Amino acid sequence: MQDVLTLAQAGGTPPMAGVTLAHYLFVSAAMFALGLVGFLVRRNLIVMFLCTELMFQASGIALIAFARYHMEMSGQTFVIFVLTVAAAEAALALALVVLLFRRRDSLSTEAWQEMRG
Amino acid sequence: MEPSREGVPLVEQLVNPFLLYGAIALGGIGVCVALPRRGVSPQAIGALLAAIAGAAVLIGLGLGAPEALPNIHFYIFSAIALGSALRVISHPRPVYAALYFVLVVLSSAGLYLLLSAEFMAFALIIIYAGAILITYLFVIMLATQSPTEDRLDMLADYDRAAREPVVATGAAFVLLAVLTTLLFSGIGQLPEPRDAMAREGLMAELPRRVESSLRGDDLLNRGDELVYRADEPWALELDAVERTVLVRRATGEVEAVGLPDDLRLRNVESLAFNFLNEHPATIEIAGVILLMAMLGATVLSRRQVELDEDLKAAQASKLRLGPGGGGAAQPVPKAPERGDAASTQRGLPGGRFSSGGRDAPGGGQA
Repeated sequence: MQDVLTLAQAGGTPPMAGVTLAHYLFVSAAMFALGLVGFLVRRNLIVMFLCTELMFQASGIALIAFARYHMEMSGQTFVIFVLTVAAAEAALALALVVLLFRRRDSLSTEAWQEMRG
Repeated sequence: MEPSREGVPLVEQLVNPFLLYGAIALGGIGVCVALPRRGVSPQAIGALLAAIAGAAVLIGLGLGAPEALPNIHFYIFSAIALGSALRVISHPRPVYAALYFVLVVLSSAGLYLLLSAEFMAFALIIIYAGAILITYLFVIMLATQSPTEDRLDMLADYDRAAREPVVATGAAFVLLAVLTTLLFSGIGQLPEPRDAMAREGLMAELPRRVESSLRGDDLLNRGDELVYRADEPWALELDAVERTVLVRRATGEVEAVGLPDDLRLRNVESLAFNFLNEHPATIEIAGVILLMAMLGATVLSRRQVELDEDLKAAQASKLRLGPGGGGAAQPVPKAPERGDAASTQRGLPGGRFSSGGRDAPGGGQA
Protein backbone atom coordinates (compact mmCIF):
# COMPACT_ATOMS: atom_id res chain seq x y z
CA MET A 1 0.00 0.00 0.00
CA GLN A 2 2.80 2.36 0.87
CA ASP A 3 4.27 1.87 -2.60
CA VAL A 4 1.03 2.72 -4.29
CA LEU A 5 0.02 5.67 -2.19
CA THR A 6 3.17 7.72 -1.90
CA LEU A 7 1.94 10.50 0.27
CA ALA A 8 4.97 12.62 0.84
CA GLN A 9 4.19 13.32 4.47
CA ALA A 10 7.52 11.97 5.58
CA GLY A 11 10.65 13.15 3.87
CA GLY A 12 12.54 11.22 1.28
CA THR A 13 9.97 12.07 -1.36
CA PRO A 14 11.17 10.74 -4.69
CA PRO A 15 11.51 13.37 -7.41
CA MET A 16 8.57 13.48 -9.76
CA ALA A 17 9.10 12.37 -13.34
CA GLY A 18 8.23 14.72 -16.17
CA VAL A 19 5.72 12.24 -17.58
CA THR A 20 3.85 12.14 -14.28
CA LEU A 21 3.69 15.92 -14.36
CA ALA A 22 2.27 15.68 -17.87
CA HIS A 23 -0.59 13.49 -16.57
CA TYR A 24 -1.62 16.08 -14.01
CA LEU A 25 -1.27 18.90 -16.50
CA PHE A 26 -3.50 17.09 -18.98
CA VAL A 27 -6.20 16.65 -16.34
CA SER A 28 -5.90 20.34 -15.48
CA ALA A 29 -6.07 21.46 -19.11
CA ALA A 30 -9.06 19.22 -19.83
CA MET A 31 -10.90 20.55 -16.80
CA PHE A 32 -10.14 24.11 -17.89
CA ALA A 33 -11.50 23.39 -21.37
CA LEU A 34 -14.66 21.89 -19.87
CA GLY A 35 -15.11 25.03 -17.79
CA LEU A 36 -14.68 27.15 -20.90
CA VAL A 37 -17.29 25.14 -22.81
CA GLY A 38 -19.67 25.48 -19.89
CA PHE A 39 -19.15 29.21 -19.68
CA LEU A 40 -19.87 29.66 -23.37
CA VAL A 41 -22.73 27.21 -23.59
CA ARG A 42 -24.87 27.63 -20.50
CA ARG A 43 -27.45 30.38 -20.40
CA ASN A 44 -28.03 30.42 -16.67
CA LEU A 45 -26.02 33.16 -14.93
CA ILE A 46 -25.31 31.10 -11.82
CA VAL A 47 -24.13 28.07 -13.80
CA MET A 48 -21.88 30.35 -15.84
CA PHE A 49 -20.19 31.52 -12.65
CA LEU A 50 -19.97 27.93 -11.51
CA CYS A 51 -18.02 27.21 -14.69
CA THR A 52 -15.53 29.98 -13.89
CA GLU A 53 -15.02 28.26 -10.55
CA LEU A 54 -14.30 25.10 -12.51
CA MET A 55 -11.56 26.96 -14.37
CA PHE A 56 -10.14 28.20 -11.05
CA GLN A 57 -9.99 24.58 -9.88
CA ALA A 58 -8.12 23.56 -13.02
CA SER A 59 -5.52 26.27 -12.56
CA GLY A 60 -5.12 25.20 -8.95
CA ILE A 61 -4.31 21.63 -9.97
CA ALA A 62 -1.68 22.86 -12.44
CA LEU A 63 -0.09 25.12 -9.80
CA ILE A 64 0.07 22.34 -7.22
CA ALA A 65 1.49 19.90 -9.76
CA PHE A 66 4.27 22.31 -10.69
CA ALA A 67 4.91 23.00 -7.00
CA ARG A 68 5.37 19.28 -6.42
CA TYR A 69 7.64 18.89 -9.43
CA HIS A 70 9.96 21.72 -8.42
CA MET A 71 9.70 20.95 -4.69
CA GLU A 72 8.90 24.61 -4.27
CA MET A 73 6.16 25.84 -2.00
CA SER A 74 5.38 29.03 -3.93
CA GLY A 75 2.89 27.14 -6.09
CA GLN A 76 0.86 26.22 -3.04
CA THR A 77 1.00 29.82 -1.82
CA PHE A 78 -0.47 30.91 -5.13
CA VAL A 79 -3.31 28.44 -4.68
CA ILE A 80 -4.18 30.18 -1.40
CA PHE A 81 -4.40 33.34 -3.46
CA VAL A 82 -6.59 31.62 -6.06
CA LEU A 83 -8.92 30.55 -3.25
CA THR A 84 -9.10 34.14 -2.01
CA VAL A 85 -9.92 35.49 -5.44
CA ALA A 86 -12.51 32.75 -5.96
CA ALA A 87 -14.20 33.61 -2.68
CA ALA A 88 -14.27 37.31 -3.51
CA GLU A 89 -15.56 36.57 -6.99
CA ALA A 90 -18.31 34.33 -5.63
CA ALA A 91 -19.44 37.00 -3.17
CA LEU A 92 -19.56 39.77 -5.77
CA ALA A 93 -20.98 37.67 -8.58
CA LEU A 94 -23.74 36.22 -6.46
CA ALA A 95 -24.71 39.65 -5.12
CA LEU A 96 -24.87 40.84 -8.71
CA VAL A 97 -26.91 37.82 -9.77
CA VAL A 98 -29.41 38.34 -6.97
CA LEU A 99 -29.74 41.99 -7.99
CA LEU A 100 -30.29 41.09 -11.64
CA PHE A 101 -32.75 38.36 -10.70
CA ARG A 102 -34.84 40.73 -8.60
CA ARG A 103 -35.04 43.12 -11.53
CA ARG A 104 -36.06 40.71 -14.30
CA ASP A 105 -37.26 37.62 -12.43
CA SER A 106 -35.08 35.46 -14.64
CA LEU A 107 -31.57 34.08 -14.52
CA SER A 108 -31.23 33.92 -18.25
CA THR A 109 -28.42 35.86 -19.90
CA GLU A 110 -30.79 36.70 -22.72
CA ALA A 111 -32.83 38.85 -20.35
CA TRP A 112 -29.96 41.33 -20.44
CA GLN A 113 -29.32 41.35 -24.14
CA GLU A 114 -29.59 45.10 -24.49
CA MET A 115 -26.31 45.40 -22.59
CA ARG A 116 -24.56 43.98 -25.65
CA GLY A 117 -22.19 46.71 -26.82
CA MET B 1 12.97 12.54 -16.82
CA GLU B 2 12.56 10.74 -20.05
CA PRO B 3 15.72 10.65 -22.16
CA SER B 4 15.35 13.09 -25.00
CA ARG B 5 15.46 11.59 -28.46
CA GLU B 6 17.33 13.61 -31.01
CA GLY B 7 15.41 14.95 -33.97
CA VAL B 8 11.98 14.25 -32.52
CA PRO B 9 9.80 17.25 -31.68
CA LEU B 10 9.33 17.63 -27.98
CA VAL B 11 5.60 16.91 -27.97
CA GLU B 12 6.15 13.55 -29.60
CA GLN B 13 8.47 12.41 -26.85
CA LEU B 14 5.53 12.29 -24.49
CA VAL B 15 2.62 11.22 -26.65
CA ASN B 16 1.87 10.57 -30.28
CA PRO B 17 0.40 13.84 -31.59
CA PHE B 18 -1.99 11.99 -33.90
CA LEU B 19 -3.40 10.17 -30.88
CA LEU B 20 -3.47 13.38 -28.84
CA TYR B 21 -5.34 15.53 -31.32
CA GLY B 22 -7.63 12.69 -32.39
CA ALA B 23 -8.55 12.00 -28.80
CA ILE B 24 -9.15 15.68 -28.07
CA ALA B 25 -11.40 15.92 -31.13
CA LEU B 26 -13.30 12.81 -30.03
CA GLY B 27 -13.68 14.29 -26.56
CA GLY B 28 -14.98 17.50 -28.08
CA ILE B 29 -17.61 15.57 -30.03
CA GLY B 30 -18.53 13.71 -26.86
CA VAL B 31 -18.93 16.92 -24.86
CA CYS B 32 -20.96 18.44 -27.67
CA VAL B 33 -23.29 15.44 -27.72
CA ALA B 34 -23.64 15.43 -23.95
CA LEU B 35 -24.72 19.07 -23.67
CA PRO B 36 -28.39 19.65 -22.94
CA ARG B 37 -30.66 20.40 -25.87
CA ARG B 38 -34.37 20.38 -26.56
CA GLY B 39 -35.87 16.98 -27.14
CA VAL B 40 -33.61 13.97 -26.68
CA SER B 41 -30.10 14.57 -25.49
CA PRO B 42 -28.02 11.38 -25.62
CA GLN B 43 -25.91 12.24 -22.62
CA ALA B 44 -24.70 8.72 -21.93
CA ILE B 45 -23.26 8.40 -25.44
CA GLY B 46 -21.53 11.77 -25.18
CA ALA B 47 -20.08 10.97 -21.78
CA LEU B 48 -18.86 7.61 -23.09
CA LEU B 49 -17.12 9.27 -26.04
CA ALA B 50 -15.49 11.87 -23.79
CA ALA B 51 -14.39 9.18 -21.34
CA ILE B 52 -12.83 7.12 -24.13
CA ALA B 53 -10.99 10.22 -25.35
CA GLY B 54 -9.63 11.11 -21.94
CA ALA B 55 -8.56 7.53 -21.28
CA ALA B 56 -6.84 7.40 -24.68
CA VAL B 57 -4.69 10.43 -23.89
CA LEU B 58 -3.76 9.15 -20.44
CA ILE B 59 -2.94 5.67 -21.75
CA GLY B 60 -0.94 7.23 -24.57
CA LEU B 61 1.02 9.24 -22.02
CA GLY B 62 1.53 6.14 -19.91
CA LEU B 63 2.80 4.04 -22.81
CA GLY B 64 5.46 6.66 -23.50
CA ALA B 65 7.13 5.94 -20.19
CA PRO B 66 5.76 2.85 -18.45
CA GLU B 67 8.26 3.17 -15.62
CA ALA B 68 7.06 6.61 -14.48
CA LEU B 69 3.31 6.05 -14.17
CA PRO B 70 1.40 7.92 -11.50
CA ASN B 71 -0.24 5.63 -8.99
CA ILE B 72 -3.71 4.15 -9.34
CA HIS B 73 -5.35 6.81 -7.17
CA PHE B 74 -4.48 9.44 -9.73
CA TYR B 75 -6.62 7.66 -12.32
CA ILE B 76 -9.52 7.25 -9.91
CA PHE B 77 -9.52 10.87 -8.76
CA SER B 78 -9.05 12.34 -12.21
CA ALA B 79 -11.82 10.16 -13.65
CA ILE B 80 -14.19 11.39 -10.95
CA ALA B 81 -13.04 14.99 -11.40
CA LEU B 82 -13.41 15.09 -15.18
CA GLY B 83 -16.63 13.07 -15.17
CA SER B 84 -18.32 15.34 -12.69
CA ALA B 85 -16.91 18.42 -14.44
CA LEU B 86 -18.71 17.19 -17.56
CA ARG B 87 -21.85 16.77 -15.47
CA VAL B 88 -21.51 20.31 -14.09
CA ILE B 89 -21.68 21.79 -17.55
CA SER B 90 -24.25 19.37 -18.95
CA HIS B 91 -26.78 18.93 -16.14
CA PRO B 92 -29.93 20.93 -16.86
CA ARG B 93 -30.70 21.55 -13.19
CA PRO B 94 -28.47 24.19 -11.54
CA VAL B 95 -28.72 22.59 -8.10
CA TYR B 96 -27.36 19.31 -9.42
CA ALA B 97 -24.62 21.16 -11.30
CA ALA B 98 -23.53 22.75 -8.01
CA LEU B 99 -23.59 19.40 -6.24
CA TYR B 100 -21.49 17.83 -8.99
CA PHE B 101 -19.09 20.73 -8.56
CA VAL B 102 -18.69 19.67 -4.93
CA LEU B 103 -17.61 16.29 -6.28
CA VAL B 104 -15.07 18.03 -8.54
CA VAL B 105 -13.70 19.86 -5.51
CA LEU B 106 -13.46 16.69 -3.43
CA SER B 107 -11.60 14.77 -6.11
CA SER B 108 -9.29 17.72 -6.76
CA ALA B 109 -8.51 17.64 -3.06
CA GLY B 110 -7.60 13.97 -3.59
CA LEU B 111 -5.23 14.97 -6.39
CA TYR B 112 -3.69 17.62 -4.11
CA LEU B 113 -3.08 14.90 -1.51
CA LEU B 114 -1.30 12.78 -4.09
CA LEU B 115 0.82 15.82 -4.91
CA SER B 116 1.75 16.06 -1.20
CA ALA B 117 -0.11 19.31 -0.61
CA GLU B 118 -2.03 18.19 2.45
CA PHE B 119 -2.79 21.60 3.88
CA MET B 120 -4.15 22.92 0.59
CA ALA B 121 -6.26 19.78 0.11
CA PHE B 122 -8.13 20.30 3.34
CA ALA B 123 -8.28 24.06 2.95
CA LEU B 124 -9.85 23.45 -0.44
CA ILE B 125 -12.52 21.20 1.03
CA ILE B 126 -13.26 23.60 3.87
CA ILE B 127 -13.30 26.80 1.82
CA TYR B 128 -14.67 25.59 -1.49
CA ALA B 129 -17.01 22.77 -0.67
CA GLY B 130 -17.86 24.16 2.73
CA ALA B 131 -18.31 27.86 2.10
CA ILE B 132 -18.33 28.96 -1.53
CA LEU B 133 -20.45 26.14 -2.89
CA ILE B 134 -22.96 26.46 -0.07
CA THR B 135 -23.35 30.13 -0.99
CA TYR B 136 -23.95 29.11 -4.58
CA LEU B 137 -26.54 26.55 -3.56
CA PHE B 138 -28.22 29.14 -1.37
CA VAL B 139 -28.54 31.61 -4.23
CA ILE B 140 -29.68 28.92 -6.66
CA MET B 141 -32.41 27.85 -4.31
CA LEU B 142 -33.43 31.48 -3.75
CA ALA B 143 -33.58 32.27 -7.42
CA THR B 144 -35.11 29.22 -9.06
CA GLN B 145 -38.39 27.51 -8.47
CA SER B 146 -37.44 23.88 -8.67
CA PRO B 147 -40.18 21.57 -9.80
CA THR B 148 -40.53 18.69 -7.44
CA GLU B 149 -41.45 16.07 -9.96
CA ASP B 150 -38.84 14.58 -12.22
CA ARG B 151 -39.81 16.37 -15.39
CA LEU B 152 -37.41 18.37 -17.49
CA ASP B 153 -40.11 20.37 -19.24
CA MET B 154 -40.90 22.08 -15.95
CA LEU B 155 -37.45 23.67 -16.01
CA ALA B 156 -36.85 27.18 -17.22
CA ASP B 157 -36.13 27.34 -20.91
CA TYR B 158 -32.64 28.77 -20.43
CA ASP B 159 -31.61 25.68 -18.49
CA ARG B 160 -32.95 23.16 -20.95
CA ALA B 161 -30.97 24.00 -24.07
CA ALA B 162 -27.35 24.89 -24.62
CA ARG B 163 -26.38 27.94 -26.61
CA GLU B 164 -24.17 27.27 -29.66
CA PRO B 165 -22.72 23.94 -28.47
CA VAL B 166 -20.80 23.23 -31.67
CA VAL B 167 -19.00 26.57 -31.82
CA ALA B 168 -18.17 26.47 -28.11
CA THR B 169 -16.72 22.97 -28.20
CA GLY B 170 -14.78 23.93 -31.33
CA ALA B 171 -13.22 26.84 -29.46
CA ALA B 172 -12.45 24.58 -26.52
CA PHE B 173 -10.89 22.00 -28.87
CA VAL B 174 -8.49 24.61 -30.24
CA LEU B 175 -7.70 25.83 -26.72
CA LEU B 176 -7.05 22.33 -25.38
CA ALA B 177 -4.92 21.33 -28.37
CA VAL B 178 -2.74 24.43 -28.05
CA LEU B 179 -2.52 24.08 -24.26
CA THR B 180 -1.47 20.44 -24.33
CA THR B 181 1.02 21.05 -27.12
CA LEU B 182 2.64 23.91 -25.25
CA LEU B 183 2.58 22.18 -21.87
CA PHE B 184 3.93 18.89 -23.16
CA SER B 185 6.68 20.53 -25.17
CA GLY B 186 7.52 22.77 -22.22
CA ILE B 187 7.96 19.74 -19.95
CA GLY B 188 10.93 18.66 -22.07
CA GLN B 189 12.71 21.89 -21.24
CA LEU B 190 12.08 21.98 -17.50
CA PRO B 191 15.11 21.65 -15.23
CA GLU B 192 15.59 18.34 -13.46
CA PRO B 193 13.29 18.02 -10.45
CA ARG B 194 14.89 18.88 -7.14
CA ASP B 195 15.34 16.43 -4.37
CA ALA B 196 13.04 16.74 -1.39
CA MET B 197 16.11 17.11 0.78
CA ALA B 198 16.72 20.58 -0.61
CA ARG B 199 13.95 22.12 1.41
CA GLU B 200 14.75 20.29 4.62
CA GLY B 201 17.25 23.08 5.35
CA LEU B 202 14.32 25.03 6.78
CA MET B 203 14.53 22.68 9.75
CA ALA B 204 17.39 24.86 11.02
CA GLU B 205 14.86 27.60 11.72
CA LEU B 206 12.71 25.39 13.94
CA PRO B 207 14.98 25.02 16.99
CA ARG B 208 12.26 24.13 19.47
CA ARG B 209 10.96 21.30 17.36
CA VAL B 210 14.45 19.91 16.78
CA GLU B 211 15.23 20.15 20.48
CA SER B 212 12.05 18.46 21.67
CA SER B 213 12.49 15.71 19.13
CA LEU B 214 16.09 15.12 20.23
CA ARG B 215 15.12 15.13 23.90
CA GLY B 216 12.28 12.74 23.17
CA ASP B 217 14.78 10.27 21.74
CA ASP B 218 17.23 10.81 24.64
CA LEU B 219 19.88 12.19 22.32
CA LEU B 220 20.26 15.29 24.51
CA ASN B 221 21.17 15.03 28.17
CA ARG B 222 20.59 17.56 30.90
CA GLY B 223 22.74 20.64 30.33
CA ASP B 224 23.34 19.98 26.63
CA GLU B 225 22.26 22.68 24.23
CA LEU B 226 22.00 23.21 20.50
CA VAL B 227 24.50 25.41 18.71
CA TYR B 228 23.13 28.43 16.86
CA ARG B 229 24.76 30.04 13.86
CA ALA B 230 26.98 33.03 14.47
CA ASP B 231 25.57 35.13 11.63
CA GLU B 232 21.91 34.05 11.98
CA PRO B 233 21.36 33.66 15.71
CA TRP B 234 17.84 32.27 15.29
CA ALA B 235 18.94 29.34 13.13
CA LEU B 236 20.62 26.12 14.17
CA GLU B 237 23.90 24.73 12.89
CA LEU B 238 22.13 21.99 10.98
CA ASP B 239 23.25 19.98 7.99
CA ALA B 240 20.16 19.04 5.97
CA VAL B 241 21.94 16.62 3.66
CA GLU B 242 23.80 14.66 6.30
CA ARG B 243 20.89 15.14 8.74
CA THR B 244 23.06 16.18 11.65
CA VAL B 245 22.93 19.06 14.09
CA LEU B 246 25.72 20.51 16.25
CA VAL B 247 25.26 20.07 19.99
CA ARG B 248 27.29 21.65 22.81
CA ARG B 249 27.54 19.10 25.60
CA ALA B 250 27.46 20.04 29.25
CA THR B 251 31.17 19.26 29.39
CA GLY B 252 31.84 21.96 26.80
CA GLU B 253 32.74 19.85 23.77
CA VAL B 254 30.80 20.32 20.51
CA GLU B 255 29.73 17.31 18.47
CA ALA B 256 27.40 16.49 15.59
CA VAL B 257 24.32 14.48 16.50
CA GLY B 258 22.23 12.68 13.90
CA LEU B 259 18.61 13.77 13.63
CA PRO B 260 15.90 11.18 14.35
CA ASP B 261 14.30 9.66 11.25
CA ASP B 262 10.82 10.84 12.09
CA LEU B 263 11.91 14.47 12.34
CA ARG B 264 10.87 15.81 8.96
CA LEU B 265 9.58 19.13 7.74
CA ARG B 266 5.80 19.01 7.52
CA ASN B 267 3.80 20.40 4.65
CA VAL B 268 2.18 23.04 6.83
CA GLU B 269 5.54 24.21 8.15
CA SER B 270 7.17 24.57 4.78
CA LEU B 271 4.05 26.24 3.35
CA ALA B 272 3.96 28.68 6.25
CA PHE B 273 7.65 29.51 5.81
CA ASN B 274 7.08 30.19 2.14
CA PHE B 275 3.90 32.13 2.73
CA LEU B 276 5.14 34.49 5.41
CA ASN B 277 8.86 34.56 4.64
CA GLU B 278 9.01 34.84 0.88
CA HIS B 279 5.63 36.40 0.03
CA PRO B 280 4.90 38.59 3.07
CA ALA B 281 2.64 40.98 1.15
CA THR B 282 0.30 38.19 0.02
CA ILE B 283 -1.76 38.11 3.15
CA GLU B 284 -2.22 41.89 3.12
CA ILE B 285 -3.35 41.88 -0.50
CA ALA B 286 -5.70 38.98 0.17
CA GLY B 287 -7.16 40.90 3.09
CA VAL B 288 -7.76 43.98 0.95
CA ILE B 289 -9.38 41.88 -1.80
CA LEU B 290 -11.72 40.20 0.66
CA LEU B 291 -12.61 43.51 2.31
CA MET B 292 -13.39 45.08 -1.06
CA ALA B 293 -15.51 42.07 -2.02
CA MET B 294 -17.42 42.35 1.22
CA LEU B 295 -18.04 46.07 0.75
CA GLY B 296 -19.04 45.56 -2.88
CA ALA B 297 -21.45 42.76 -2.07
CA THR B 298 -23.04 44.81 0.69
CA VAL B 299 -23.46 47.87 -1.53
CA LEU B 300 -24.86 45.79 -4.38
CA SER B 301 -27.35 43.85 -2.36
CA ARG B 302 -28.85 46.70 -0.32
CA ARG B 303 -29.88 48.66 -3.40
CA GLN B 304 -33.65 48.95 -3.86
CA VAL B 305 -34.84 47.47 -7.10
CA GLU B 306 -37.30 49.26 -9.36
CA LEU B 307 -39.36 46.50 -10.93
CA ASP B 308 -40.57 46.51 -14.50
CA GLU B 309 -44.24 47.20 -15.07
CA ASP B 310 -44.89 43.71 -16.41
CA LEU B 311 -43.18 42.16 -13.47
CA LYS B 312 -45.11 44.28 -11.03
CA ALA B 313 -48.34 43.14 -12.63
CA ALA B 314 -47.30 39.50 -12.52
CA GLN B 315 -46.24 39.66 -8.89
CA ALA B 316 -49.33 41.56 -7.89
CA SER B 317 -51.61 38.99 -9.49
CA LYS B 318 -49.62 36.22 -7.86
CA LEU B 319 -50.07 37.83 -4.48
CA ARG B 320 -53.73 38.52 -5.05
CA LEU B 321 -54.45 34.88 -5.76
CA GLY B 322 -53.31 34.13 -2.29
CA PRO B 323 -51.40 31.36 -0.62
CA GLY B 324 -53.79 28.66 -1.80
CA GLY B 325 -51.16 27.43 -4.27
CA GLY B 326 -53.23 27.94 -7.40
CA GLY B 327 -51.29 31.10 -8.21
CA ALA B 328 -48.96 29.75 -10.83
CA ALA B 329 -51.44 27.46 -12.49
CA GLN B 330 -53.95 29.72 -14.13
CA PRO B 331 -52.99 32.35 -16.67
CA VAL B 332 -53.72 35.86 -15.55
CA PRO B 333 -55.33 38.33 -17.92
CA LYS B 334 -52.66 40.97 -18.22
CA ALA B 335 -54.34 44.17 -19.33
CA PRO B 336 -56.93 44.72 -16.60
CA GLU B 337 -54.49 43.61 -13.93
CA ARG B 338 -51.80 46.05 -14.79
CA GLY B 339 -53.48 49.32 -13.88
CA ASP B 340 -54.77 47.79 -10.72
CA ALA B 341 -51.37 46.44 -9.78
CA ALA B 342 -49.68 49.74 -10.45
CA SER B 343 -52.05 51.49 -8.14
CA THR B 344 -51.39 48.83 -5.55
CA GLN B 345 -47.74 49.43 -6.05
CA ARG B 346 -47.91 53.12 -5.36
CA GLY B 347 -49.10 52.52 -1.88
CA LEU B 348 -46.10 50.48 -0.82
CA PRO B 349 -42.90 52.05 0.44
CA GLY B 350 -39.77 51.57 -1.65
CA GLY B 351 -41.51 49.96 -4.59
CA ARG B 352 -41.21 46.48 -3.12
CA PHE B 353 -43.77 43.89 -2.33
CA SER B 354 -44.13 42.35 1.00
CA SER B 355 -46.56 39.61 1.83
CA GLY B 356 -48.66 42.20 3.59
CA GLY B 357 -49.10 43.96 0.26
CA ARG B 358 -52.09 41.83 -0.48
CA ASP B 359 -54.22 43.81 1.89
CA ALA B 360 -52.84 47.11 0.74
CA PRO B 361 -55.03 48.29 -2.17
CA GLY B 362 -57.65 49.88 -0.03
CA GLY B 363 -55.43 51.46 2.56
CA GLY B 364 -52.69 52.38 0.13
CA GLN B 365 -54.86 54.80 -1.75
CA ALA B 366 -55.97 56.73 1.27
